[in-house]
Amino acid sequence: MNGAALDRVFRAASGRIIAALAARFRDLALAEDAFSESCLRAMRAWPERGMPDDPAAWLYRVAERIALDALRRRQVREQAICDVPPEPNAEDTMMDDSHFIPDERLRLIFICCHPAVAPEARAALTLRLVCGLTTTEIARAFLVQETALAQRLVRAKHKIADAGVPFELPPPHFWSERLEAVLSTLEIAYAKAHEDASGTGAHAGFAGEMLHLTKLLTELVPNAGGAFALAALVRFAEARRPARVDNEGMMIPLSHQDPALWRADLIEEAGGFLRDAVTLAPVSARTLQALLQQAWCRRQSRDEPAPWAEVLLLYDRLLTLRDDAVVRLNRAVALAEVEGPGAALREIEQLATPGLAEFLPYHAVRADLLRRAGRKQDAQAAYQQALALEPPSAERRWLERKLGELTA
Amino acid sequence: MKYALLVYEDDSVFGADKAGPKIQELVGKHMAFSQEMGAKRLGGQGLKPVTAATTVRTAGGKKTVHDGPFAETKEQLGGFYLVEAADLDEAIAIARKVPLMQDGSIEIRPVMGP
Repeated sequence: MNGAALDRVFRAASGRIIAALAARFRDLALAEDAFSESCLRAMRAWPERGMPDDPAAWLYRVAERIALDALRRRQVREQAICDVPPEPNAEDTMMDDSHFIPDERLRLIFICCHPAVAPEARAALTLRLVCGLTTTEIARAFLVQETALAQRLVRAKHKIADAGVPFELPPPHFWSERLEAVLSTLEIAYAKAHEDASGTGAHAGFAGEMLHLTKLLTELVPNAGGAFALAALVRFAEARRPARVDNEGMMIPLSHQDPALWRADLIEEAGGFLRDAVTLAPVSARTLQALLQQAWCRRQSRDEPAPWAEVLLLYDRLLTLRDDAVVRLNRAVALAEVEGPGAALREIEQLATPGLAEFLPYHAVRADLLRRAGRKQDAQAAYQQALALEPPSAERRWLERKLGELTA
Repeated sequence: MKYALLVYEDDSVFGADKAGPKIQELVGKHMAFSQEMGAKRLGGQGLKPVTAATTVRTAGGKKTVHDGPFAETKEQLGGFYLVEAADLDEAIAIARKVPLMQDGSIEIRPVMGP
């Protein structure tokens, strides 16, 4: 039993155990600390006595005892009587059964994504507590300093405790509003994982967690179309990961990818989620985005024509629901294929969104359109603007190659 | 838990000295709201306009008295409630119902101590 094997066991158990402890003791920091301490004890005990049959149940029971001891010590120190742990209810009694830890992860997700938690902390907190990612991994994914991220997490946990964020699931009439915060948090978290085409380092595990988490949401909220659409979206996108970079680590654009490399298992799973999304939420931006992904993933080989006309149609529909620069930019890419680069250029030159100058896809798309329209010098300048924004390595290589072809 | 709900609104619409007709309308709404809250309302009070504010400032151990509020802002603290709520979600639900004459904000602050 080496360190990596132990680490896998701890990580697999972490979300479920922290969620169950948090629900029982109504204290996130206590739940997290008790779980870490029980992992430390496992690292001492297991190599000697062997791994228990149900490692998660072992970790949970030990963590529960650690938490109870900590609460007792706290009471003695503060001589307080207000901190008595809640009496175990029927559910808690069942938890003592060595094979049963209740799944409270949905509650934990709703706590992490409560509107009272700072938006920039929600995704990080969810990844830390529900997915068991380390602060180092999350900091790398969000491109922030580890100390800054750790502080953000601490502040968020204090806010949850001080403000009295409930540990109950919100009542049904809050669901639409609150579920939206959860879905957009997961969307942000996934977008971070997806940005890096090569998917090396922390991102790989991170994207895998998203597959798991989105599936969990559909099981827990079986009437929420948005959850199904997101589960489909993440799968279609992940299915293409093996085809996103070439042997030299250069990005391959979607329309150039070899569909034979796409993961058929994930595409099939995604199709199932999408069918439910279409039934539950036929007119929603997330469903349309998943349909867009599916339009591509239906392609069997590069010999088949690319589905640009269908993609353009879907973007036209998406535009009526979500009119922003990102959608308009993506629509322009399809428009260029259907009506030519000139029409697409006219569309994107009209964009006047603040922050567009810092938005890498804007410069990358514009450079490509200018190149195809024969405006060589403007295209060169646009490629240089894109490269100045320090894209991830796979995309940088692609942009450099295109710029090189222009100057050659 | 106990929460303070701090009501921020641009008080210029209430006229000089907060004595215009709008204030009667708003007071009526607050009375109805207080009634609806019942025992959850532990206290609360409307405040005279920000033109009546005086601030005692301590800086470097020296205390000075100033005309005006702590900070000049577009919306001013116009009143507060002290409420009992099970958790933040209940406090938010109550805050959503606090009457306002126009755009404004309700800041929800948990109260220290038991």
